[in-house]
Amino acid sequence: MLKKLKRMALGASTALTVASAAIAGPYDAYDGTTLVVNFPAHPHYNAVMKILPEFTKETGIEVEVDQLPYLKMRERQTLELGQDEGDYDLIAYVVFSKADYVYADQLENLARYFMNPKLADPSYDADDLIDGYVYNIGFAGGNKGYLQGKTGSLFGMPYGSETSVLGYRKDIFEKHGLSVPETYAEMLDIACKIPQLEPGMGGLSSRAASGHHAAHAFLLHLAPLGGRIFDDAWNPIVNNEAGVQAANALKQIVDCGPEGAASFGFGEALGSFLNGDTAMFLDTTVVAGQIDDASKSKVVGKVGWAMHPEGVRRGSQTGGFGIGIPKNAENKEAAFLLMQWLTSKTGDKLVAMAGGNPSRFSTHADADVNAKFPHMATFGEALKHADPDWRPIIPVWGKINADLGTTLSKVLTEGLDVQDALDGVAERTRGVMEEAGYYTWQ
Amino acid sequence: MDHDRQNPAFYALLVALIFMAVGPIVLMFTNSFKLDVDIIGGTSGLLFLPTIQNYETALCDVLWYEPEHLDFCALKFGGAFVNSLIIALVSTALTLIIGCMAAYALVRFRFMGRDTASLTTLMVRMVPPAVLLVPVFGLWNNEFCISKKFWLGELIRDTFGGRGDICLAGTHSGIILIYVAMNLPFVIWILQSFIVQVPRSLEEAARVDGAGPFQVFFQIVLPLIKPGLAAAAIFTFRIAWNEYLLASALSDRDTKTVPILIVNNMSEFNVEWGVIMATGMLLAIPPIIFTLFASRQIITGMTAGAVKG
Amino acid sequence: MKAQNLNRMTPYVFMAPAAIIMGLALLYPLAYMIYGSFRAWDPSQNISETEFVGLKNYITLFFDPAFRESLSVTLTFAFAVVTAELAIGVGLALLLDRNIRGMSVLRTLFILPMMIAPVVVGLMWRYMYHPTVGTINKTLKSMGFESVDWLGQHALLSVIIADIWQWTPFIFILSLAALQSLPRSALEAAKIDGATGWQQIRYIKLPLMMPVLIVTGLLRLIDAFKVLEVILVMTEGGPGLSTEIIALRISRTATEFRELGVAAAMSNYLLLLLLILTLGMFAITRLQEARSARQARQIQEEG
Repeated sequence: MLKKLKRMALGASTALTVASAAIAGPYDAYDGTTLVVNFPAHPHYNAVMKILPEFTKETGIEVEVDQLPYLKMRERQTLELGQDEGDYDLIAYVVFSKADYVYADQLENLARYFMNPKLADPSYDADDLIDGYVYNIGFAGGNKGYLQGKTGSLFGMPYGSETSVLGYRKDIFEKHGLSVPETYAEMLDIACKIPQLEPGMGGLSSRAASGHHAAHAFLLHLAPLGGRIFDDAWNPIVNNEAGVQAANALKQIVDCGPEGAASFGFGEALGSFLNGDTAMFLDTTVVAGQIDDASKSKVVGKVGWAMHPEGVRRGSQTGGFGIGIPKNAENKEAAFLLMQWLTSKTGDKLVAMAGGNPSRFSTHADADVNAKFPHMATFGEALKHADPDWRPIIPVWGKINADLGTTLSKVLTEGLDVQDALDGVAERTRGVMEEAGYYTWQ
Repeated sequence: MDHDRQNPAFYALLVALIFMAVGPIVLMFTNSFKLDVDIIGGTSGLLFLPTIQNYETALCDVLWYEPEHLDFCALKFGGAFVNSLIIALVSTALTLIIGCMAAYALVRFRFMGRDTASLTTLMVRMVPPAVLLVPVFGLWNNEFCISKKFWLGELIRDTFGGRGDICLAGTHSGIILIYVAMNLPFVIWILQSFIVQVPRSLEEAARVDGAGPFQVFFQIVLPLIKPGLAAAAIFTFRIAWNEYLLASALSDRDTKTVPILIVNNMSEFNVEWGVIMATGMLLAIPPIIFTLFASRQIITGMTAGAVKG
Repeated sequence: MKAQNLNRMTPYVFMAPAAIIMGLALLYPLAYMIYGSFRAWDPSQNISETEFVGLKNYITLFFDPAFRESLSVTLTFAFAVVTAELAIGVGLALLLDRNIRGMSVLRTLFILPMMIAPVVVGLMWRYMYHPTVGTINKTLKSMGFESVDWLGQHALLSVIIADIWQWTPFIFILSLAALQSLPRSALEAAKIDGATGWQQIRYIKLPLMMPVLIVTGLLRLIDAFKVLEVILVMTEGGPGLSTEIIALRISRTATEFRELGVAAAMSNYLLLLLLILTLGMFAITRLQEARSARQARQIQEEG
């Protein structure tokens, strides 16, 4: 009975749609659809939640959001994407899930949506999207499987992407006549000077907690110091000289950091900076919004921004989230329209004004955005050095990451020797890679 | 009742113990009325301006007004509370009914398989929920399903919407099922020690009067083990209300319970201590109320198995 | 005739619902898991699609240093927690076994920690242990001591303390009940004979409480292996693996590493361990019963 009614209603609305097709806008066919989307609990996506009502007003498409902590979100997606029919029409995926989902053929290839004249917006200006982000987060099948290359194609759009940047306390630096560090040597030097100059204050607050946090912090230093996890033949080189240097840099930072630094997750490290207990913060650009929020931060207006210091090169983080359309989604076209709207020039500017991370060069240079968030200009500069190969995005990375993180945590808390620790990681990584078949062509 | 006088050291010890037992809870209570900045900054002590902002953020979907400090309602505590309530109440009711019937059978009747049943019940008690996580996750999602091509599946989909096959995962029933199963061994164990104390003579008298076994059970035995039932009910409710691991594996966005909400809220990026404390406080209220009003039953339940043995 | 049939069926009718539910939702999953532990199983696969790998999962685990570390953490945690809770709980019971006003109020307040959700307990203690804004360090600092990095350097100890906070009341209440149900005659006799308080405890109270204490201790031991949510919220198993008890490692292997076969094998190892402990509990209670029966007979013969 219900089905018959539905069919009649559908028939009537189709007739109406056909009748008004002559004067149809791109969104009319989807007016009244409800999209179910999966977003992480993340400052950028909190900003997105604020601008979604705009989308609904403009297009008539309702959006129902399931917001989860990003690791939980990943588990949930693994489940949903594997079903025959999934619940979600649009998902935000963590960058390193790109490998899993594309490999398991669970994301829609966006080519045919951009080829569809009814869906693709001619004023989209894809060249304005930040290159490093697009190739790191949305592109798959290129060089090494996860970078830019002639063999690849687009499966998602970067959204909520971040790079790393150095935040520092202008007032403390001025007080002691310190200059903003440009190189790693300078930064490490200042990091250990601060606890002496300002008793009770840490130099640089960094993530260091066991697992993903410690690994992330390590990777932040690895790229600028010239290191890599793998060489071109997938041999682990994380235990080479650059790797040891990076690990030692992390250890030094934690030792000269605020109290309890060795167990800091991201939240605690940020909290320490917001509370005024540390002089520097080297991590994602995402935090900028919170720094100027008086209900959370005690250092409003005292923070300056500089680029991620240079080691032998400049190589800041690329990471964050992207949005994609699951293969088992129900409303794929409407989801594409949402994706396009969010990453369009207007959508990007709206989300930047609401405190999110822009994905376009133009937004970073926009006058209104810079008036509200003066750090955007520095971020735009930093983005030019965002390193797309900052971390290998291969399916087995999760396991290697976990091992790297727990081992580094032992270096920081149990005094494990750095070279031994990294040698161990390299050995176990080699085992994992061999089992996954990465040495088949050697 | 003769109350002896004790020396001051004794009372000091008592006060210290009470402080340690109740202190953290009171701490959470006071912190839930502070702003994050105050909590982190550590304006310690009792001089602060209390605010109900944290509770407003938590309860934003059941408030009749829009709190001004919120841009959008992220926490859907009201919905989660209802879910938790439904799941806890239904599982408690089911566990009690099924459990006392089973306990009665194990105590009063001799039947084939009784010893195995008794032993299994005892053995199953030692299974940690984490061990059940893997198979339950697999089964509830893949095997315990009604295909949507089956007539029942189509009917459910037509009335409730949703997509794909209807599996136990993501439904209230799925979580209720596993909670009942997990709690049955403990409830059977508690109720057994209560049923044992009901004098057989009463039952035999009723049987002589012509009552069938069900009547004997419902009209004679049940009323006499009310304290046991109360204790079992409280314990089962507590477990179903507080459980996190299996609920988080088996729920989707419509069936989230409060513990899941609390853990999800401890996001990396934004540790909002005030809101976390507020939601923790809200979760803790029913158990605290139970404790204050039914402590005797709880203690009876605890001592039932161990002391009387 | 019908009545007799009904009578014969009655026990089965009474048992049936419980049997069905436990079979479906406990025994079948357990069997499923044992089956799955012999296979290489990824979460996106149905179990029928997985391949058979024999004892590979078990052997990998046996030689895996991370698993060994997790096992030792679990055993340390369980035994430390039970020992401490028994000592403190029984000690408090002995101290507070007196007639005072408002004992029931005290009892009510003491059982509050037990009733709070483990996630909330983890939350509370995580806040209290926070290196800079946490209550404990702030108090230490205000008293002139240095603050301690609880969750960083002494994670296992911190977690043990939190568990002691939550569960000592359990042991306390049970010991108190046991004490208060002791035969007064024996105590009176000892007092008349001039035994000191300490002698009373050692030779009369404790031995008489033994059966209850053993059962309680073993109950608590089995429950200590189930602790997961508190540790998850407080440390997530870190730093390193220092608080990663097996239950947590199983959940992590399943959800983060996505190796369900290995998680299943680990679960089986855990179950085996618990089985040994439970059988031990049975054996000891049987021994206890035999011994008290023997003693009762002896007393009868002498008297």
